[in-house]
Amino acid sequence: MTTTSAPGGRGPAAVRIAGTALAVAAGYYIGANLGLILRLPPATPSVMWPPNAILTATLLLAPPRRWPIYLLAALPAHLAAELGLGLGWPILLVLALFATNCSEALIAAVILRRLSDAPARFDTLRRVVVFIVGAVVAAPFLSSFLDAGVVTSFLGESYEGVWRARFFSNVLTELTVVPALAIVITATPAWLHSAPLRRQVEAALLGVLLVLLGVLSFGTSSYGVIPGIPRSPLALLMPFLLWAAVRFGPGGASLSTLVTTLVAIWTVTHGATAPPTREEILVLQLFLCVIFIPLMCLAALIEERRAAEGALGERLRFEELLSRLSGAFVHLPSHEMDCAFEEWLRRLGEALGLDRVLLLRISGSRQMATVAHSWTALGASVPPVLAEVAPSGQMGWRWLLRDDVLLFGRGSDGSASAGLADGPLQMARSEIVMPLVAGGRVLGGLVFHAIARSPAARASIIPGLQLVAEVFAGALARKETEDALRASEAMKTAILGSLSTGVAVLDRDGVIITVNEGWSRLARDGATWDPGVTVGSNYLGACRRAVRRGVAHAGEAVAGIEAVLQRARTAFAFDYAAGTPPAERWCTMTVVPLDRPDGGAVVSHTDVTERKRVEMEAQRSRQELAHFSRVSTMGELTASLAHELSQPLSGILTNAQAAQRFLAQGSPDLHEVRNILADIVDDDKRAGDVIQRLRDLLCKRELARRPLDLNTLIRDVAKLLASDAVIRNVGFVLDLHPEPVVVNADSVQLQQVILNLLLNAMDAMADSADGDRTIVLRTERTEIDAVHVAVQDAGPGLAPNAEEQIFEPFYTTKPAGMGMGLSIARSIVHAHGGLIWATNNPARGATFHLALPSSDGRRT
Amino acid sequence: MAAAATVFVVDDDPSIRRSLERLFRSAGHTIQTFVSARQFLERADLSAPSCLVLDVRMPGQSGLDLQQVLEAAGHHIPVIFITGHADLPMAQQAMQAGAVGLFAKPFDGHELLYAVEQALGAARSRSGTA
Repeated sequence: MTTTSAPGGRGPAAVRIAGTALAVAAGYYIGANLGLILRLPPATPSVMWPPNAILTATLLLAPPRRWPIYLLAALPAHLAAELGLGLGWPILLVLALFATNCSEALIAAVILRRLSDAPARFDTLRRVVVFIVGAVVAAPFLSSFLDAGVVTSFLGESYEGVWRARFFSNVLTELTVVPALAIVITATPAWLHSAPLRRQVEAALLGVLLVLLGVLSFGTSSYGVIPGIPRSPLALLMPFLLWAAVRFGPGGASLSTLVTTLVAIWTVTHGATAPPTREEILVLQLFLCVIFIPLMCLAALIEERRAAEGALGERLRFEELLSRLSGAFVHLPSHEMDCAFEEWLRRLGEALGLDRVLLLRISGSRQMATVAHSWTALGASVPPVLAEVAPSGQMGWRWLLRDDVLLFGRGSDGSASAGLADGPLQMARSEIVMPLVAGGRVLGGLVFHAIARSPAARASIIPGLQLVAEVFAGALARKETEDALRASEAMKTAILGSLSTGVAVLDRDGVIITVNEGWSRLARDGATWDPGVTVGSNYLGACRRAVRRGVAHAGEAVAGIEAVLQRARTAFAFDYAAGTPPAERWCTMTVVPLDRPDGGAVVSHTDVTERKRVEMEAQRSRQELAHFSRVSTMGELTASLAHELSQPLSGILTNAQAAQRFLAQGSPDLHEVRNILADIVDDDKRAGDVIQRLRDLLCKRELARRPLDLNTLIRDVAKLLASDAVIRNVGFVLDLHPEPVVVNADSVQLQQVILNLLLNAMDAMADSADGDRTIVLRTERTEIDAVHVAVQDAGPGLAPNAEEQIFEPFYTTKPAGMGMGLSIARSIVHAHGGLIWATNNPARGATFHLALPSSDGRRT
Repeated sequence: MAAAATVFVVDDDPSIRRSLERLFRSAGHTIQTFVSARQFLERADLSAPSCLVLDVRMPGQSGLDLQQVLEAAGHHIPVIFITGHADLPMAQQAMQAGAVGLFAKPFDGHELLYAVEQALGAARSRSGTA
């Protein structure tokens, strides 16, 4: 029995359906003719009637919605076969018989669809039993009533006889043809393709032997090979039938029974011996059924057992694989994971007999799945959906997590809706995609392709695949974390390396744990006090040795590092000069605690030479400006200074001339002359002091801060301005602290400040009434370790809100003023760590205040 | 030479006062010094012929002020100004007010002596004719 149908073939559905319908028609026609050949004339029912079984097999294999198509397709074949016999049967009878044939197939198909989980399969005992009950017994039993009725009413044959003949004939046909046909159609192409040649030869040999033995056992005379012993087809055939059932399963069993049946019936009906009676045919039919039913059950049992064993073995192998997999990634360094992923994809693919396994990774930022790793079986034909997937690189695949299943879709554009619409449609049914989820985040997916299994088998491996997914997800998450950590470490190292600052990390004992490149560079330049210090050496010790060698500033470094290591200070910083003068560098050293339980510190040396140079340049500019300011102030004071000098000079000259006159007298009064000379000396000193004060203010010299008494300084300035004050008719009142008020300052700069304030005060009182022209100069110590100087005038006071503006450069109220005086005064005071401000007095005038850090005056 | 004539010196600078006192004593003059205009007004005996050597700039009342006060009081005492810094407006003011001389410090003592003796001579003759 052959068929041209190809249910699994490709092509449009309509063409497939048409092809199948044609095949059904052809099969029916051939089957009908075969049935007519195997008929025992003149009785109507055949010994075996294949068309009904062909219809049954068709309906079992086809979806119910196509049943009408295939049944109708069989109608022309039925008409052709029955009318072609030339029996002269009325058309109504022929159509009625077709209806009864269809009814049998429909009854069988409906019962099997209801009761069997796989109607076209015969590989479990349950399926075989359901098939026997539904298709082999019930369908012929019920349809035979109709058939017998039709035949009886048209041809007048005995109802009971027709029913009985048709029932048993159809039982035998259904039993032998349906399984054979179904198995041939569904499984034979694959078997022929995959089974080894040995098996195919064995099957062919078995078929030939069955035919020969069938002919031998059924076709010879009523006695068998051994005379005297009744022929016993069972004894001869049974080993070979069992051979087929055991070696070739349900397929072998059903095909061998079909072959045996055909041979038996043909031999009996067309044999050399006399035609058998109806009773003998019945016995033959019963005989064959009795053999075949247990045989098929046995084959099903064996197949069931084999499948169970195979499943168990596969399951065990899979479980073992899983147990090894779950441990495989535990201690694996992340850089070896990529290789391990590839390896395990291969093992899983081979263990599960898959075509392809993909590991997709989803990059968080792009929301895109990338094939990170893949494995494809040798020679596997990959479906087009996946064939377009490059093993690496970006794809246009979108992913969607829905109900714990990761769906993949491929859209031509980037729209999410396209992805959603395409996704589920493009999923192959034979694919399982497991999401890789770790920490609530989807990291990717595992795509197992071509899992051709029953739903139950698919369900049974899902837990295993979930475990695989968990292991992979865990490994991926760890790899991501470690990669991120490594990237972070690399970043930190790169940042440290790119710093120009030399950084060293010390442990609690001062031993260097790590340094950056900048450290080595600065160490070479001598900025770290010991060029040799590097990782592993004790920096604190190196600094102490430097102290003993007398290296400048090393002592400060030791103190700072010790203080921070002992947690006595939270930070330490100081500036120092490093290297020898031609290549002298300015550096800043900072020490901060290392924030970890074990303690330690971070020491950094920064080359601040450039900054220092700029600072010194700025300071020089400030000094230039201050000097210029002083010189211009002196210009203002010229008249006053001339007066100041003229006083002692005048005294000297007058005294000298008086002395001359005394000496010219007869008896000079030497006592008088001595007094005169003493006065001359004093006046000369007075003139010298004036010149010295001028020189101090006008000379350009480096700043020199030393402790000085503000009271003395103020008195000197007041002296310098005394003549000017007289000229301007201004009085100074010195209200000075009884004890020295000592600050650490540059005397010339502070004199400049006081001078400036006094000149301003005098200017402010230019228009005041004569009686009010008093400037009060006050010094006092404040409670907060500072000194306070006040210069109080009795002028008109400051303009409203001008208290701040007056210290800005170029702010002036004088017609010829430059507006630099107070600005310079402020920069000088700030440079001394002090403050300068102005207030209006309650009554009249303004007071300018200076606050400067006190140096301990009582000691000096 | 009449010995009754007195030279008054008003200057706030003690060194100037002492040196002038010696200079005039060396020439045989009677001399009286004052530290300020106020002291002069309080203590000086203006009845006898005299000459006033007066500093222009002084704390409190200036020399010019004192000159004006004396003029206003009718004391026509010859005044010779000595000044640490002589400027033209002040010199004009002094001369217009009747000063007989103005010397810028440091000045030649002989010239001052000469000027003082001239002034005393004038004062004596005025008082003699009066």
